[in-house]
Amino acid sequence: MTKEEIYGAVHPAVAEALGLDADEVTAESTLMDELGAESIDLLDILFRIERAIGVKIQAADLSEYVQGGIPDEEFGDENDIITAKGLAQLKKVMPQLDVEALSGKLAAENVMGYFTVENLVTLVAERAAVTV
Amino acid sequence: MDLEGRVALVTGASRGIGRATALRLASEGAAVGVNYRSNQQLAQDVVAEIEAANGRAVAIQGDVSDYQQAQEVVAKTVADLGGLHVLVNNAGIARDALIFNMEPEDWLDVMKVNFGAVFNCTKSALPHFAGQRDGVIVNVSSMMGERGWTGESNYAASKGAINAFTRCCAIETARFGIRVNAVLPGFSPTDLVSELLDKDGGKSIKRQIPMRGFAGVDDVADAVAFLAGPRSGYITGSLLPLDGGVGAQLGLGRTSW
Repeated sequence: MTKEEIYGAVHPAVAEALGLDADEVTAESTLMDELGAESIDLLDILFRIERAIGVKIQAADLSEYVQGGIPDEEFGDENDIITAKGLAQLKKVMPQLDVEALSGKLAAENVMGYFTVENLVTLVAERAAVTV
Repeated sequence: MDLEGRVALVTGASRGIGRATALRLASEGAAVGVNYRSNQQLAQDVVAEIEAANGRAVAIQGDVSDYQQAQEVVAKTVADLGGLHVLVNNAGIARDALIFNMEPEDWLDVMKVNFGAVFNCTKSALPHFAGQRDGVIVNVSSMMGERGWTGESNYAASKGAINAFTRCCAIETARFGIRVNAVLPGFSPTDLVSELLDKDGGKSIKRQIPMRGFAGVDDVADAVAFLAGPRSGYITGSLLPLDGGVGAQLGLGRTSW
């Protein structure tokens, strides 16, 4: 499956789950902050993707994927601000992040707010590769 | 044949309303998982009756008040019958007692089976239903969950829990193509309520029912089949009373009994 094919499944899944017009959703849109997705919407998006292309992703997988297996105490500092190590991991799964600007400022609870449609496509592509 | 090509799982299907429901769904063309906890022979009788009418059914043992077993019952239904589209949460028990005499385990046991099994089976079926964007859940509740009766506090509380859960589950799952409703029988003369009917064969209760009779198990099965089928496609989150008018009347519906 090519990345374009996956985007072709993810894009309508996001638009339909959120009740948005197709042109309201772009690859750069952040799912939660810009498109307003809540946890039940994320579930809906993931089930739609599963149904469309057979790639199964659990909602709990999302944050695990973003955190990349780094333990909580190394991912964030005592004030739950993402550490340099955490930011380096985030840059891998969310390449659009301006890590310098976010250094010492990004609260753990706000991390998922930066997750875009494109980032989701990358995750689905990874899982599709494993599945196949 | 409203349920041709559908697979249904009915919990507590060896007796009473569950048995009647399993037979009814099969008569509409559904392949049926006949879940039972201990009455293997009775469950196999239900399966045999369905097969004799050229239907498809399997008996599936499991105590659905246990989460692990409930998951296995759902998985086994999918494996044995090739899918799952309809879940009828019917399994239930009663431990009637005055609160004065009730022990803590009396409410906990009833809650674990009556409500716990609804939660367990629902949660087990949801990923499957959501993945296929198609699924129907019918909970067999009771009018007792909406009203009160002496000696029924634990049972009524468990059914009230089912009713509240039915509404919440319906609104959470509607967008995944899943419908969730409940049927609320008034009095149905099954083993479950035999104690209530012991005294005078239920005569004194019947007199207080506007339709002057009990719900037959087939009346309940008919309603379940309706809610499980395509003719109720826009109905979700509903609690459907099958009570001969009991819930509609003012308690003092007549000047004398």
